[in-house]
Amino acid sequence: MTEQQRSAKTNSGPLGIITGGGLKENLKARLTIPASEVQEGAFVVVDDKLDKWTFYGLITDLQLWATDPRYANEDLGGRLSPRLAKLLREQTLYTNAEIMNTLMMERGPDPVTETEAYFDWYQEVLDEKIRPQPAKTVPQHHAPVRLARAEDIALIFGEEGKKSFFRIGDTLEQGHPVCVNLDKLVQRSAGIFGATGTGKSFLTRVILAGLINHGKTAVLIFDMHNEYGPDDTASDTGMRVPGLKGKFPTKVRMVGLGRNATIRGERPDYTLEVAESDITPEDVLLLSQELNLRETTATTLDALRSSFHGDWFHEFKKMRSKATIKDEEGKTIAAPDSVQVWAEKKGVNVSAAESLHSKLGRLFNAPYIVEQPAANALQQMIDNLDNGQHVVLSFGDHEKDLDYLFVSNLLTRRIREEWEKRTNAYRSGKQGAPEPRPLVIAVEEAHKLLNREMASQTSFSTIAREMRKYYVTLLIIDQRPSQIYDEVMSQLGTRVTGWLGDSDDIAAVLTGLAGRDALRGMLARLQPKEEVLMLGWGVPMPIVVRSRRYDDAFWDELLKFKASARKNNAVFDELDF
Amino acid sequence: MADHIEIGRLLRSETVGFVFGCKLDQIDSPSFGSMVRVKMDDHYQIFGLIYDIRIQDDGLVKQLITSDTLVNEAWLDTRGNRTVPVEIGVLALGYMLDDQVSQLLPPRPPLSLDEIFLCTPEEIAAFTSAGRMGYLRHIMRDQNKPVAELLAAHLKNTREVQEAEGHSEWFDAAVEELITLMKDDYPTLMTVLGVVDELESSQDGRLG
Repeated sequence: MTEQQRSAKTNSGPLGIITGGGLKENLKARLTIPASEVQEGAFVVVDDKLDKWTFYGLITDLQLWATDPRYANEDLGGRLSPRLAKLLREQTLYTNAEIMNTLMMERGPDPVTETEAYFDWYQEVLDEKIRPQPAKTVPQHHAPVRLARAEDIALIFGEEGKKSFFRIGDTLEQGHPVCVNLDKLVQRSAGIFGATGTGKSFLTRVILAGLINHGKTAVLIFDMHNEYGPDDTASDTGMRVPGLKGKFPTKVRMVGLGRNATIRGERPDYTLEVAESDITPEDVLLLSQELNLRETTATTLDALRSSFHGDWFHEFKKMRSKATIKDEEGKTIAAPDSVQVWAEKKGVNVSAAESLHSKLGRLFNAPYIVEQPAANALQQMIDNLDNGQHVVLSFGDHEKDLDYLFVSNLLTRRIREEWEKRTNAYRSGKQGAPEPRPLVIAVEEAHKLLNREMASQTSFSTIAREMRKYYVTLLIIDQRPSQIYDEVMSQLGTRVTGWLGDSDDIAAVLTGLAGRDALRGMLARLQPKEEVLMLGWGVPMPIVVRSRRYDDAFWDELLKFKASARKNNAVFDELDF
Repeated sequence: MADHIEIGRLLRSETVGFVFGCKLDQIDSPSFGSMVRVKMDDHYQIFGLIYDIRIQDDGLVKQLITSDTLVNEAWLDTRGNRTVPVEIGVLALGYMLDDQVSQLLPPRPPLSLDEIFLCTPEEIAAFTSAGRMGYLRHIMRDQNKPVAELLAAHLKNTREVQEAEGHSEWFDAAVEELITLMKDDYPTLMTVLGVVDELESSQDGRLG
């Protein structure tokens, strides 16, 4: 390794110079170090002391070049001595890197020669008066390029422990911490994607733990597979995986679905039952695909609602399908409590009503749907979320898609309505109406709720579209982003994605983003585990990170940070700051 | 410092080089690829590289060749007292003015009958170490000359001198510069490197 190479590796010395490119296409840099020293996705800085700006970008491609193709085609080692061949290779064969120029920032004064001016400038940076901005110009020819240092990354992505910056992972090359701004993350809906086994669930746990620890946002998790609340065992390593409940026992409330629900053998904090009167025809229509409902269902449901209003579900459930009685003359007729009698009375197609009654049997028999719930668990959930607690709704034994779709949508609709009401009260200046606490709803298997057919009917797509208008955003977790309606995908602020094998999934994750072509290859070549690409509105620029491991060290660091922050605050309080 | 060996006097010159003459019995000292210098005055001397050694015929030589018998006296007389000099072509590489080496072409060429000296190892080492090997471009300028062999001979000679002076890195730096200057001319560069390689391997074989 030459001195230059060593310097590039350890001190972020120059790794090349800018040789071309523009705003429409990527910048091109000729590397002065071997290609193996850098990787696609590396965060680089174009740092020219003669320029007014410092540029920040990502390496999106590496290409082998030669001053004359004949040098590349010739087997130099076979023709010349190893020494001469090496000298010739160093001069004639090289690597070009393509750099996606994403941000630029005003260059400050020289800290050595203009120390005082530099400190003034740095204060403005700290005060966020000078911030990186989208690249609107290009660096000069031969501007030196280097790998980003920890301070560059902190400047762009924030410093761990400061404000709401939370370390999500580290850069690939040098392991510098990369943070995400949790306050910004929850301002718009976000998505975590990745094929099965890419560590999606672990990454989600990391982010959720960060959000809970940060304490400014309430989190509601629809835990379809009972992964997030209770302690778990990793399917691949067999290691124990701490759950959020165990680490935040007072902050996280475990809610089980159904009166006698247990979660991995443990009793939840309380259970949730759905009141029949809470179910709307729209909740049923949402299940059209799952229940294989006919096109006539909407008409039948409409008639049910006009007949029984809020009790339509209860009344319909009570009706008997194809029930008959003998009349006074001994003739078999439809029973008064039969579906047929009601249908004929309301002018509804009898077979359509009978069919709907039969298909709703799965809901009629769901043990968590009751006429009169023992407690108002829904209100308790809302109160918990409002009080800064977080709720993990475990589906326990009700892991079927039907249960998940039905319950998650119904609850989300109710909670969103509540938040909308509170937001309107707050905005209208109603006395005593506090600002609603931001709420993040984490949804697994999001494509089941947000696919093209269902997106328009669920509350989730409404939330995704509204952004943070009513203080509610989504954190969607999915392995098939291509199945999610593209209008919803395009609304996602922050996207964190692990490896995806399917080209449609890759294209879906990049929907609505600039520089898609450059990012596509990067996404396809992520390591199958632990490497993730962060991109979108919520991060200053796309970046590939080695995601933080969800292990004991993570918890030690996270809880230590919190403890030390508390300690500092206590000191400031004592000093009357 | 080694003795200064005078090897001839200037016949004709131009900015990019000159030709000097010597007697046939002086031919043992200069050789293809040797570095020479011309002392113009106490402050100014020109450095060059021998690229051509030419022995012209004359009427007497033609007659002797066509005679039936060549007597020994006539052969010795022709070699020792011949009035036609050996002509040695030199490429100008640079100059030294007040002990400052410049690898640019000399401001004015040497004058007729100026004395030509073979460079000593110290002088070779001093001239070739100064600057950034810019003088190599003078060698490559004229493609009518045997550039590859000339460069190879020069690198071989100078490498020996530099290594004796303890500058083992000189050779790699010279080859790097050569590659930089010639990389746009693939055929010539590969020929030059091929010859250098051949010289290296023959030297290694000899050392081995």
